[in-house]
Amino acid sequence: MSLQDAYRAWQDKTEAALAKRPERKEAFHNHSDIPISRLYTPADGIQSEEAYLQKLGFPGEYPYTRGIQPTMYRGRYWTMRQYAGYGSAEETNARFRYLLEQGQTGLSTAFDLPTQIGYDADDPFARGEVGKVGVSISSRLDMETLLERIPLDQVSTSMTINAPASVLLAMYLVVAEQQGVPWDKVSGTIQNDILKEYVARGTYIFPPKPSMRLVTDVFDFCAREVPLWNTISISGYHIREAGSTAVQELAFTLANAMAYVQAAVDAGLAVDDFAPRLSFFFNAHNDFFEEIAKFRAARRMWSKIMRERFGAKNPRSWQLRFHTQTAGSTLTAQQPDNNVVRVTVQAMAAVLGGTQSLHTNSRDEALALPTEASARLALRTQQILAYESGLTDTIDPLAGSYYVEHLTDEVEARAWQYIDHIDQMGGAVTAIEQGYMQQEIHQAAYDTQVAIERGEQVVVGVNKFQMEEQERPEILRVDPALGRKQAERLAKLRAERPAEAHAAALTALRQAAEGTANLMPYLVDAVRKYATIGEICNVLRDVFGEYHPNLF
Amino acid sequence: MTQPIRVLVAKPGLDGHDRGALVIAQGLRDQGMEVIYTGLRQTPEQIANTAVQEDVACVGLSSLSGAHLELFPEVVRQLRARGAEDILVVGGGVIPDEDIPALQAAGIAHVFTPGTRIEDVAAFIRAHVHNHLPAEHAVPGVLQIDHIGIAVHSLASALPMYTQLLGLTVYHEEVIADQQVRTAFLRVGETDLELLEPTDGSGPIAQFLQRRGPGIHHIAYAVADIEASLRAARAAGYRLIDEAPRPGGHGKQIAFLHPKDTGGVLVEFCQRGVGAAEEGAVE
Repeated sequence: MSLQDAYRAWQDKTEAALAKRPERKEAFHNHSDIPISRLYTPADGIQSEEAYLQKLGFPGEYPYTRGIQPTMYRGRYWTMRQYAGYGSAEETNARFRYLLEQGQTGLSTAFDLPTQIGYDADDPFARGEVGKVGVSISSRLDMETLLERIPLDQVSTSMTINAPASVLLAMYLVVAEQQGVPWDKVSGTIQNDILKEYVARGTYIFPPKPSMRLVTDVFDFCAREVPLWNTISISGYHIREAGSTAVQELAFTLANAMAYVQAAVDAGLAVDDFAPRLSFFFNAHNDFFEEIAKFRAARRMWSKIMRERFGAKNPRSWQLRFHTQTAGSTLTAQQPDNNVVRVTVQAMAAVLGGTQSLHTNSRDEALALPTEASARLALRTQQILAYESGLTDTIDPLAGSYYVEHLTDEVEARAWQYIDHIDQMGGAVTAIEQGYMQQEIHQAAYDTQVAIERGEQVVVGVNKFQMEEQERPEILRVDPALGRKQAERLAKLRAERPAEAHAAALTALRQAAEGTANLMPYLVDAVRKYATIGEICNVLRDVFGEYHPNLF
Repeated sequence: MTQPIRVLVAKPGLDGHDRGALVIAQGLRDQGMEVIYTGLRQTPEQIANTAVQEDVACVGLSSLSGAHLELFPEVVRQLRARGAEDILVVGGGVIPDEDIPALQAAGIAHVFTPGTRIEDVAAFIRAHVHNHLPAEHAVPGVLQIDHIGIAVHSLASALPMYTQLLGLTVYHEEVIADQQVRTAFLRVGETDLELLEPTDGSGPIAQFLQRRGPGIHHIAYAVADIEASLRAARAAGYRLIDEAPRPGGHGKQIAFLHPKDTGGVLVEFCQRGVGAAEEGAVE
């Protein structure tokens, strides 16, 4: 009997028995609405050697489905990079040094909202927000404190900063200079992904056009001056957190990435000069196999986009390197210990998907910022996966799974449909200005909420298996007096800095912004002259205007 | 509802996470409310101004950035400064339990933490904006429970429990033709029980019995002025089954509210005519 006949016979027999032993649901679908079959067979997997070479290839080779390095985690583990930052620069510096002592291999900085939106800590708009969701950085003095006793030639630092990313990069470079570390030795990442701020995260300042200029100025400047710096981390993470499906996360992220590449090419940059420093940031959500399929599809799609659409020649331009964070929105305030298990499963998907770096969330993040103990447990989770689980001993171990290969193809096909549609609208910037991505995401978020409220989607401890809550765990509090202390620090800085040099640097910045020069050197100079983030961003607000979204 | 509750969903401070705010906004719309969303980065002053201009009954604040202790009470203060203390203020987001008492003391009526169902948010708003109703939105005088309507398959088999076990007396029986129902009234103190038996298979009581079986069908409140009571209910946003009073059993004027807006209990207003009251007293 052929495989196909045997499979049909098995299906018939199974269907016949359903009346007596029905399945849990009439039809199975995942959150991206991809139908899930009862069983996958060789007919769904890689059909031939030719198909293997075309779809999967080898690690470190086009189309990179199996991974971007030839040895992956047999060479070295992913970078364990826990996002941290709260309160003052002193407190965050202490948390950084603690995490490095605990075996963390890279830093990841969370900034407070005033910093992220380009306000000084003493600005009226900063009321109540100073130091709350990250560290408060108003000037190079704060940055010096933040990085004190951290060797910038050895530790790579990721900074979650977008609208004023170039200002924070300038501060980082000035501190490196002070530490005696040359710019071509510093490595790290700025998120610098403004498009997803309009879509999903909300810390925009300027309208899209000047914002895209700031982004491409960084591409250009770093290609020449800071060659090891990742100039952008194009982020699906927040799109997913805002409620999108896995397919939407992938499609919108790649569509945004294409808009950045196009903008840089339009600005006259050669694609292979900047593309190797582009990096990505994805979410690791609950659906284990779909997430793995998403990461694999992402690599395959990006290599094709860069090679075929943008004509990149350097293989490093084809490689999609990405950071992963486990899904914050899946954490529950109820029974917070359950979150440790969720995070473990999500982190496994990231590792099996071939991530380059990983942040694992802490169990208490649905309640407040993580305490030191829960941040350590989150790091230990990664270490157990790396050192104990055996996940890391062979490359892309799920390749060839009928289901995973089918799902990888399916996720890819559906993502291309979205990308084609966005292309037809005129690209990601137009799609965002028209609210298209926002509406798609919101609809998916609402569908999820309704499914949870109806009990169709189970959240353990929330709509099923609830219990009376025990004592709430200890939570981390930010000193409410921090705003006042930062204001005093700023007053002192303003009184003591050389006023003329400061004013001249801001004037030069204004003139450059009105023209077309690369703004990075002007930003570095303003930072050197002790201009604050608020002062710098206010100059740019004057010249560029501010973004006011339409409400959809 | 004929006149929906107006809600302002607002994001105070710099927090950009509005998935929750947007989902709640749509969910409350699906619950029949009229929802205005402010968008991101609103100061407490802006929120209070919008609330007053838009004449909302409720402001829902969302914050995930930890700034709630400073920003939520400031919204309440700004509303009070504008004489709008009657606006219900609720909040939600990433808010530790131990902060909730301080927020409530500052005038935040309720804090909804992650995992709350939209239905529960809507129910809370409905229940509590009604506490802030202006006078014309309140029924002018509820005198007592007039009667409790109980659906039965057959008066003959239902009555013995009332008459023999409880020792009550049937003082009035009546067929209400247009409702396809035969009724029997028994008096308990100042309140009647009204047993309802269907006279054919298609009237409202027959349908009730098919759906839910025998049991309590409605509660009737004796009101001083049924027309004014209906106006108030309508103004407060309740759906009405009867837009105008109609003759009910026993010579009364009656009207029903829609049970979807009254927590599943069918509510009847009834105003006794002078003659009807005497008739009851005599028998």
